[in-house]
Amino acid sequence: MNAVRLSGVTKNYGAHRAVDSLDLSIPTGSVYGFIGPNGSGKTTTIRMILHIIHPDQGEIEVLGRKETRASNDRIGYLPEERGMYKKMSVKRLLTYYGTLKGMSKRDARRVGVEWMEKLGLEAWIDKKVEALSKGMAQKVQFISTVISAPELVILDEPFSGLDPVNLEVLRAAILELRESGSTVIFSTHDMTMAEQMCDSIFMIYRGKKVLDGTVASVRASYRADTIRLKLSGGRSVLEGLQGIDSVNDMGHIQEVRFSGDSQELLQRLMAVTAVNHFEITEPSLHNIFIRIASPEPEDVAHV
Amino acid sequence: MSKIMTIGWTEYLSAVRSKAFIIGIIMMPIMMGGSLIAKYLSESNVDLQERKFAILDESDGMYELLEAALEVRNSEIFETVGEKPVQGGMPGLPVLSDGSSDGAGSGSEAEVTWEPGEMQEKRQVKPTFSMERYEHDANETRSPELVLSDRVRSGELFAFLIVGKNVFEPDRKPKDYVNYHSASPTYGDLPKWIKSTIQDEVETSRFQSKNIDPELVKDMKRRVNFDERSLVEETVEGEEIGGEEENDFESYVIPIASVIMLFMLIMMAAPQALNVVLEEKMQKISEVLISAVSPFQLMMGKLVGTVLLSMTLSAVYLGAVVVATHYFEVESMVPGRIYAWFLLFQLMALAIFSSLFAAVGAACSEMRDAQSLITPGMMILMIPMFFLGVVVESPDSTLSVALSLFPPATPMIMMLRVAIEPGPPMWQLILSVVLTVAFTAACIWAAGKVFRIGLLSSGQAPTMKKLIGWVFSK
Repeated sequence: MNAVRLSGVTKNYGAHRAVDSLDLSIPTGSVYGFIGPNGSGKTTTIRMILHIIHPDQGEIEVLGRKETRASNDRIGYLPEERGMYKKMSVKRLLTYYGTLKGMSKRDARRVGVEWMEKLGLEAWIDKKVEALSKGMAQKVQFISTVISAPELVILDEPFSGLDPVNLEVLRAAILELRESGSTVIFSTHDMTMAEQMCDSIFMIYRGKKVLDGTVASVRASYRADTIRLKLSGGRSVLEGLQGIDSVNDMGHIQEVRFSGDSQELLQRLMAVTAVNHFEITEPSLHNIFIRIASPEPEDVAHV
Repeated sequence: MSKIMTIGWTEYLSAVRSKAFIIGIIMMPIMMGGSLIAKYLSESNVDLQERKFAILDESDGMYELLEAALEVRNSEIFETVGEKPVQGGMPGLPVLSDGSSDGAGSGSEAEVTWEPGEMQEKRQVKPTFSMERYEHDANETRSPELVLSDRVRSGELFAFLIVGKNVFEPDRKPKDYVNYHSASPTYGDLPKWIKSTIQDEVETSRFQSKNIDPELVKDMKRRVNFDERSLVEETVEGEEIGGEEENDFESYVIPIASVIMLFMLIMMAAPQALNVVLEEKMQKISEVLISAVSPFQLMMGKLVGTVLLSMTLSAVYLGAVVVATHYFEVESMVPGRIYAWFLLFQLMALAIFSSLFAAVGAACSEMRDAQSLITPGMMILMIPMFFLGVVVESPDSTLSVALSLFPPATPMIMMLRVAIEPGPPMWQLILSVVLTVAFTAACIWAAGKVFRIGLLSSGQAPTMKKLIGWVFSK
């Protein structure tokens, strides 16, 4: 059973094709990550799933129905660009959003307080929104999205700007939603987070789907052509060596895309420096992302 | 529906809890009553500075006549103020005796004594005028006009008068003029008084020269008693009522005041719809909201909030009118149907203008853009106000009827016509309501389309052409 199904969905903004013939199925109860560079069509896809904007072509089915809208009480949506009424108290704000999602005032107030306690914000419930820090405000926004226990939760960049402590709190809360049976879709630029949390990944680039599947299957689809190195001599040792297609320098560790005999490379390196770490591996999601989304030579030439 | 009401109620509570609302409630009576207050203030702060003028009198005796008239005028520039002692009643008001307070004259009008008491005082309410005769020195090389003008410029005089030699002559002759020179052309009291006094004196003199008794002429020229009265009706008991003298207050002030009040109530509430929508858009709240409600529900919620706000203001002001008319026992001046029509037209005007304003708020991303885009809407709202005079003058003219049936103008113009006796025919009223309801529905529909697309748009404000494109988009 799919919570969301898109088939042949296309959306144009004037001459610009934002989403191009997109097919996508998101199983119920899964955590699905949307990745892709800025402006690649993530938010447009999310807005179409929510019927905030309509596709020019194709069909979208959400929670078994074709006309399910964002305003449906079974969906919770946290948009990327979000604001709150600064002068309202947190309690009043959560009650307001809860009632807009069809809850009674009393239930909205009760569940709001429960979530505030769960996310360690109970002391702030009577404070005005303008008194909250950025991280706190983001957590309150998350609560406003999930207060009505929706079956489908769509979070556009939920982790942006969060410190590691708050990030962990929010991650735990999202995973708890999955435990309770909700389907969670979230978009992110944090590949590590996507890799750790998502059952499946969908990547969109220039309006087209370029990756779709479980993290393991996505990574396995790339050959084990990556060698992770830790060299005493640093990156400079790698310069001029044959067979090295690209080097991703992460400071103390370098990831090398290598075509040729890896044992030969190891020997050549050992001849010039001490090799502290040598690992033949599949590319990380981060690397795959960069490989897909890096500007092609002709793009660079045009800049 | 409940979501619309939730938004409307939240919107309403936020608005009435704001300082702007309290200020707004106080501001409207101040603006409407501003002229009364200004009048009161100006009465208690009259400019009493003496106005001195010189006369170069070439005629035979105008100076003496003006001097005598001036003496009389200067003795009449005082008024007696203060409370007058009256038995058993409100100070300052004559009262009818109920016969219990004094034994004598029961059932008849009580004797009201107006003796000036300690509480009264004489107060000067107009400035004193004074005059001096100017004789031109034969050795003076400058003209008398220049000499006197210099004296006015130096502040010694306020004005001067040149009275021609033949001013009293009954037949047209040269030099029968009077010239008034002053550096203060906007001050009217002095020239007005001089002109009417000279006119009276000259007329009297001319009649006398032709052996006509001026008193007789005055009698002959007595004004006809001309009263404007209402129609006479026959009651079921066969009694004839009506025919009272027309009351300017009822005929003009109530219709005009009701339209101005309607206009003000719309002006106070409708822009609120633009402000809140635009603010939510600027603060990125809009997309959060449309994740919970549809754009149409959101817009309707804003509309409900605006209507509730305006109706609250209306309740305050109309309530004040009810209380005031009841207190002064003049309820008949503002009949119940006027209140009913007022509320109906207010509701329709609010729906039209708030939906348009909300749509503009949604379409723009900056207040500056919204202000320029809203200008046509404001013009439509204001145009009926320019026609108030024409419609009051002839409420049943073709122009008045046409305007009152033109939906954007209907609320104001039809309100005006309803408030002027005997009011428009019923078919016109019904037609105007039907047309306006249809127009209101069309406005809400169009605004809903603009609202839905505009809310997620960003960057440059759309042009009018683009907005119309949005209305007819899928």
